[in-house]
Amino acid sequence: MYIQVDNANTFIATGGKPFAAHLPTVVLLHGSGTDHRCWALQARWFAFHGYSVFAPDFPAHSLSEGEALTSIELMAAWLVRALDTTKVDKVHLVGHSQGFLVALEAAGLLGDRLKSVTALATASAIPVNPALVEMAQSNPKVAAEMMLQWGFGSPHQYGASSVPGMQPIGIGTRIMANNPLAIDLIACNAYEKGAEKARQLANIGCPSCVILAAQDRMTPKKEGFKLALDLNTAAQVIADSGHMLPMEAPKESLNLMKKFIQSLET
Amino acid sequence: MSKSSYLGADTIALHSGYQPESDHGSRAVPIYQTTSYVFDSVDEASALFNVEQGGHIYSRITNPTVAVLEQRLAALEGGAGAICTASGMSALFVSFFSLCSAGDHIVSAAQIYGSTVTLLKHSLKRFNIDCTFVDINDQQALGAAIQDNTKLVFCESIGNPGLAVSNLPAIAKTAHAQGIPLVVDATFATPYLNNPIEHGADVVVHSVTKWIGGHGVAVGGVVIDGGNFDWLKSGRFPTLTQPYEPFHGMNFWEEFGPAALAMRIRCESMRDIGAAMTPHNAFLLLQGLETLNLRMQQHVSNAQAMVTWLQTQDAVAWVNHPDINAEAHTKALFPKGAGSMLTFGVKGGRDAGAAFINALQLSSNLANVGDSRTLVLHPGSTTHSRLSEHDLIAAGIGADLIRVSVGIETLKDIQADFSLGLRAAAKILAQQAEA
Repeated sequence: MYIQVDNANTFIATGGKPFAAHLPTVVLLHGSGTDHRCWALQARWFAFHGYSVFAPDFPAHSLSEGEALTSIELMAAWLVRALDTTKVDKVHLVGHSQGFLVALEAAGLLGDRLKSVTALATASAIPVNPALVEMAQSNPKVAAEMMLQWGFGSPHQYGASSVPGMQPIGIGTRIMANNPLAIDLIACNAYEKGAEKARQLANIGCPSCVILAAQDRMTPKKEGFKLALDLNTAAQVIADSGHMLPMEAPKESLNLMKKFIQSLET
Repeated sequence: MSKSSYLGADTIALHSGYQPESDHGSRAVPIYQTTSYVFDSVDEASALFNVEQGGHIYSRITNPTVAVLEQRLAALEGGAGAICTASGMSALFVSFFSLCSAGDHIVSAAQIYGSTVTLLKHSLKRFNIDCTFVDINDQQALGAAIQDNTKLVFCESIGNPGLAVSNLPAIAKTAHAQGIPLVVDATFATPYLNNPIEHGADVVVHSVTKWIGGHGVAVGGVVIDGGNFDWLKSGRFPTLTQPYEPFHGMNFWEEFGPAALAMRIRCESMRDIGAAMTPHNAFLLLQGLETLNLRMQQHVSNAQAMVTWLQTQDAVAWVNHPDINAEAHTKALFPKGAGSMLTFGVKGGRDAGAAFINALQLSSNLANVGDSRTLVLHPGSTTHSRLSEHDLIAAGIGADLIRVSVGIETLKDIQADFSLGLRAAAKILAQQAEA
């Protein structure tokens, strides 16, 4: 669906069913340079199993218009404004990589509207190599290729695909090359409040779930374990997957996501 | 152009899409000779049917062996996804079917395979899909042929059998300027010689039966979704950008973006038309693909040597190969050589040509190309026999034209065989002179 946020046409993927604010709502937040399509399969499952899905393309990403947001704080505030347009009450926030930094920051803004947070292939801080940022500024296509060569785990480097016939690296590079990757990377690199925000969530007893990838070289799983510690939860690790976890292991990541979120809704 | 794999082409051909499976460690890609797949639970079955998870349901739609070939070919061509089909013609049909509806229009190169002409000119017309044929390298004519209801521009990267090389960057530029995608049949080129997506194509089709298989034992086709065309911005493709009712209103563009076309073909064409590649054929075609690059080197070097040799033969009237007096775009698109197809005519016309073919012992007179063995054919009597005289001329097919798919045999043996044919042709010419 398209909504207006800050006077910009904004695309929100709803998993193939109309958004219904009265249903338990799962908010799926994409990572740097990507878009809602990294959640294509997970979004459909939630949408067809009693949930409403809200998976935005952040401003200037893929199907959304507007100016790219330059900090995690701005993205979080934008997310809350976007949610407000739907009249949705309580939400489960799910974030991949940068998307979870946005979730951590948005959690404080949502207050008791927040039901839970789920982290996929991420950490409380995501430092980015300056060479990658420079490449993303000068040649986004090459930067996207560099990032995905680093981002996908070994099975996908050898052409594996959870969806028969598809090439996730090919799909990912095409999406990333046209999105404001450099701005996203700079925002990730600058965000230093993740650990503090995670501990605050733990202190208020916010349910949390951390799902890591064994072959993650962008946010190594040891950093993910630190995040889990700050959130006062246990991390679960998916084997044979790299940083692009939602695309690489959609079934395995969905199984953990739905088990956690369903446990809070029953 | 964005990558789809970080492996080199030789490595992709051998490894992409498959790593030894954990149960038995089979190094070769196994043949999953099964119609169907056991679901873990009713919930899993439901999730598979509703595209909530990837996997296999029924081998008309997907099959693990076929999927390896699909992923390997998508990686080789630099695409976002691929769908294998029962034949090259079915790959073309599902491509057109997925982009066009009744009332739509296609612009096609005039110089293409005879069965494709029939499909575009007659079969699709029954469904009110029209086609205008143009000289595809005449950009003015191409641009003028595009109508408000045009949904795609179609060409072969090397035309069959005229062997004209399509100027892909120029054609793509003309098509894209009007919001139209370019669909390219790259069968004669193979991914070894040219990757059309790198040069502006949006969809690539192969008859995998030909050089990719190489052995001549399995028929198959593939559609590769280039993933670069913005179907929404074009505004012409409701099949991809509007809700698809049979899948609960699925919007392929919104949900799958760069793989929208591949997913539409998977969800609709494979289900409704069912032109599926068999797992055994996929296995056989994978065996061929593993050595494609090596074979193509010999195909091309033999073809180039045969062109030079034929040009010195007294009985030969003319020889055609794209590398002869190659145009600039041919050199740019085919730096490793423009394939292993050649055509020629013998002095004495059709009768002498028939004598040539009938005298051959090593080369095979049959309706195929791209076999590792040398193949010959008289298109005017066979593959293109249903074309009118006007269409034959447009396709570059004279009555004396002999089509040769140069194989990878020892060069001197091919030459010796052709010498037999040329002697037979010369006798006919002499008889004609006496008469």
